[in-house]
Amino acid sequence: MTSPVPATRSGMPAWASLGIIFGLVGAASILLFGPIGVSGTYPRLIGEAARAVDPAYAASNPYLVKMGSLFRAETFLVLGLVIGGFLGARRDRVPAPKVELPHPGHETNAKRYTEAFLAGFLILFGARLAGGCTSGLIISGMTQLSIAGFVFAAGVFATGIGTAKFMQAIRMGGN
Amino acid sequence: MENLFGLLVGIAMGFLIQRVRASSPVVILQNLRLENLGIIKFMATTIAVGMITVYTLNLFIPDLLHFDIKPTYLVGVLVGGLIFGVGFGLGGYCPGTCVVGIGEGRRDAWFALAGGIVGALVFTLVYESLIAPLVALMDFGKITVQDVLHVPAIAAALVIGTIFLVVVKLLPTQVKRA
Repeated sequence: MTSPVPATRSGMPAWASLGIIFGLVGAASILLFGPIGVSGTYPRLIGEAARAVDPAYAASNPYLVKMGSLFRAETFLVLGLVIGGFLGARRDRVPAPKVELPHPGHETNAKRYTEAFLAGFLILFGARLAGGCTSGLIISGMTQLSIAGFVFAAGVFATGIGTAKFMQAIRMGGN
Repeated sequence: MENLFGLLVGIAMGFLIQRVRASSPVVILQNLRLENLGIIKFMATTIAVGMITVYTLNLFIPDLLHFDIKPTYLVGVLVGGLIFGVGFGLGGYCPGTCVVGIGEGRRDAWFALAGGIVGALVFTLVYESLIAPLVALMDFGKITVQDVLHVPAIAAALVIGTIFLVVVKLLPTQVKRA
C-alpha cells in the first residue's frame, strides 16, 4: 500500500524537499526552453493523426492549426514523464499496485477503469478549455504569476474537493 | 537541443511526481478529501520556489528566460478549471500524472490517457462552434499579478512566495487518519 508522502533521510518531509527540487526544475525549464506543460500534447497528437489520415481536414480545423506540430520540446517532456515514472517506481521496495481504488467503500476494477476513462475525458476537455492543466496553468502559470493560473487553480480545487467529498458520501451511503 | 532539454525536464518531473506519490490516485483523493495535504503542500512549495527563482533570475538575465504567460479569458479559464476539478476528484489523475502512472505500470492510467485523448478530440471538434465564443468572453489577455497590482514583479514574487511557504509550514500534513 502506498504511504502518503514519506519523510526523506535528511529529516525534511518529502513534500518539502521534492517541492524545492521541482520548483528549481520548473525554473530551469523556463531558462532552457519554456514553462512546463503537458495537456497541449494531447491535441497535437490528434493533429498529427489527422494530418496523416485527412490532411485537408487537419488544415481546415482552426484548433489543430493553432496547436501546431507534435515535434517540439513539450512532446519530449511528456515522453520523459514515462521514463521518470518508471525510474521512480524502480526505487520503491514494494511495486506500485496495478490498480488503486481511490474512493472509500465498495469499488471494482471494472468500475475503476470506467471512472478513470471518464475522468481523463473531463480533465483534458477542461484543461484545453482553460488553456493548460496542473503543470501549464497551476505550476507554470502561478510560478510566472499569471492571473489565469490562480483562477484555474481556484476552479480545480473547488470542484475537485467537492467531487472527492461527494464520492466519499455516496460510496459510504450518506454521512 | 530544446527537445533534449524537454526530455530531461520530463524525466526529472516524472521522477519527482512518482517519488512524492502524486501519480497515486489514492494519495490525490486523500488530498482532495483534505485528509492529507502532502501533495497540496508539495505543489505550493514548487510554485513558491519557482516564482522566487525565476523573478530573481529575471533581475540579472531577463533576455535568457522563456516566459510564456497564459492569457486570462476569465469565463473559459474558470469553467475549464471547474470541469477539470470534477475529473480530478473522480479519477485522481492529471494529464501528466497519468503518463507518469503508465511509466510506473498502473493499468488504470491507460484508461485515463485514453479518456484524455477522446476528450481532446471532442474539444477539437467543437472548438470553432462552442469554445471560441466562450474564450472571447471577458478576455483580459496575458495579465499577471504585478500588472494588476502595479508593483515590481520581484516584489510580488517575494511576497506571494513567502506567504505560500509560511502557510505550507503552518498547515499539518496528516489531517486525519484515512
